[in-house]
Amino acid sequence: MRVSVLGAGPGGYVAALTSARSGAQVTVIHDEEVGGTCLNRGCIPTKTFVASAELLARTRKLGAFGLELNGSIAPNLSKIVDRKNTVIKTQAKGIRGLLKSWGVALKSGRGVLISPTEIEITAPDGSRETIASDNIIIATGSKPSEIPALPFDGKNIISSTEALDLREIPGRILIVGAGVIGCEFAFIYRELGSEVTIVEMLPRAVPHEDHEISEILERELKKKKIKLLTNAGVSKTVPHDGGIRVLLSDGKELDADKVLVAVGRSFNSDNIGLENIGVKKGSRGEIIVNSRMQTSVPGVYAVGDVTGGILLAHVASAEGIVAAKNITGNTSEMNYLAVPSAIFTSPEIGSVGMREQEARDKDISFRIGRFPFRALGKAHAMDEISGMIKIISDEPSGRILGAHIIGPHASDLIHEAAVAIRAGLTVKDISGTIHAHPTLAEGIREAAEDVFGEAVHVGKKTDE
Amino acid sequence: MLPDDVRFHKEHTWLRVAGKKGTIGITDYAQDALGDIVYIDLPEIDVSVEANSEISEIESTKATSSVIAPVTGRIIEVNEDLSESPEIINEDPYGKGWIAIIELDNPSEVDDLMDASEYEKYIDEESK
Repeated sequence: MRVSVLGAGPGGYVAALTSARSGAQVTVIHDEEVGGTCLNRGCIPTKTFVASAELLARTRKLGAFGLELNGSIAPNLSKIVDRKNTVIKTQAKGIRGLLKSWGVALKSGRGVLISPTEIEITAPDGSRETIASDNIIIATGSKPSEIPALPFDGKNIISSTEALDLREIPGRILIVGAGVIGCEFAFIYRELGSEVTIVEMLPRAVPHEDHEISEILERELKKKKIKLLTNAGVSKTVPHDGGIRVLLSDGKELDADKVLVAVGRSFNSDNIGLENIGVKKGSRGEIIVNSRMQTSVPGVYAVGDVTGGILLAHVASAEGIVAAKNITGNTSEMNYLAVPSAIFTSPEIGSVGMREQEARDKDISFRIGRFPFRALGKAHAMDEISGMIKIISDEPSGRILGAHIIGPHASDLIHEAAVAIRAGLTVKDISGTIHAHPTLAEGIREAAEDVFGEAVHVGKKTDE
Repeated sequence: MLPDDVRFHKEHTWLRVAGKKGTIGITDYAQDALGDIVYIDLPEIDVSVEANSEISEIESTKATSSVIAPVTGRIIEVNEDLSESPEIINEDPYGKGWIAIIELDNPSEVDDLMDASEYEKYIDEESK
């Protein structure tokens, strides 16, 4: 069994490893460093920035922790970028090592499908080679979307890619889009010292999260003096005084040194030969696949962002595993019931399953439990008391439908709920499980108890 | 002792009237119940507010709580000092911890508010 994988991101390299472990002879074709967007200009690099920003924020509070700093502390963006590059290099080396250990061949170059079983590779030196295989997995990913009013110039109007390579902290940064990427960068650059304004077309920040999570995040933005303009679009930009003047749809003008456009992503499905073999694409350019990750062409699979589903690295990896299993003879289907997501704002956001509005729209009867972090001793000890945990459960079964957390370590805490949803557990299963004290995870137990008004650490309600 | 130059709203805000303007804050009872205040989301200037509606949110180490407008009017000034040092509300709720100044639409609304002795009775009842 020969398998070729086009792309070495979290979808492609995981598909390659899984196939190789099942005995396939695997070739990965990639035209950039392994790890894809996730490792090179997405998840991992932004987290190195977040780590620096968080440490800076905590250092600024040293006094409150009874610590004295003899001297001053200031961010050096150039060194933050250097550290980011070191982390990427280490991780890439790790992925290369894994692939090598399972005998996966790595071919550097641009791959184009010329038949359902052949990929032609053009190497960086221009030489060509054709690889034949029994199955192909397309995992070419996505790239930042551009909007006509804001064409990228790589200098003043930038995407998240360039925002991770700035060597100087911009004085004023305007972020277009208050989604995951926009909000993460807003907190990062604000902490580093930039004046930050976010412009969002929709009525709220992180519009795909539960509305209560958005409300709390918006207050946190305010606390940090990050300006958020909602229901606002950008109609035009003009160079102005070494920076950019941005005209908003409501006629307002804003000046910035950098404009970071974070309005979504488009799919890398062009110029890879899909039309040569008739792989069907959807209206947004996404490759259409079924639950086994098969495209319209037998033997050709696609996984990850390029399929236009949930654009998350861990979903791409899960899809890569499903594709590899199907190819190597173990029938497998994707199940998107419990897909946790994490946003590394300050505080973090973690969510899984149904949002409250979704439950209403689907006419499901449900109950909600909430618990604020400020009611936890551990949160006070850490001096991280903002945020809350919200659990949505089916009525009357008590089965957990969704969980939404904003607060310290939300991205880690969410997984208890992810397991519960996947296993069909109820709030009683969580509230009946002893949670260690003092931890943040106690809040999940209390939120589960609150579904039935039984949270131990909530005062007796006198009215309502 | 409660100050006798202010009027009280049942949601534990106070109003000190001077002509057509009134200064708004939260009462000592409210700040004590909230505990250490860590953040206040100050109202926006020039915004019109209705009596009994939320004008601001206060976060303490114990809870997040609404600040309710005692009267109808337009916010003309806010206490910017609170954005850096919200704990001033704990230290001096009827003085330096004032929150906003409102231009009253209807001064007769002040008559609906409690005086010091009425509020004292009210909080006695509430804390029972």
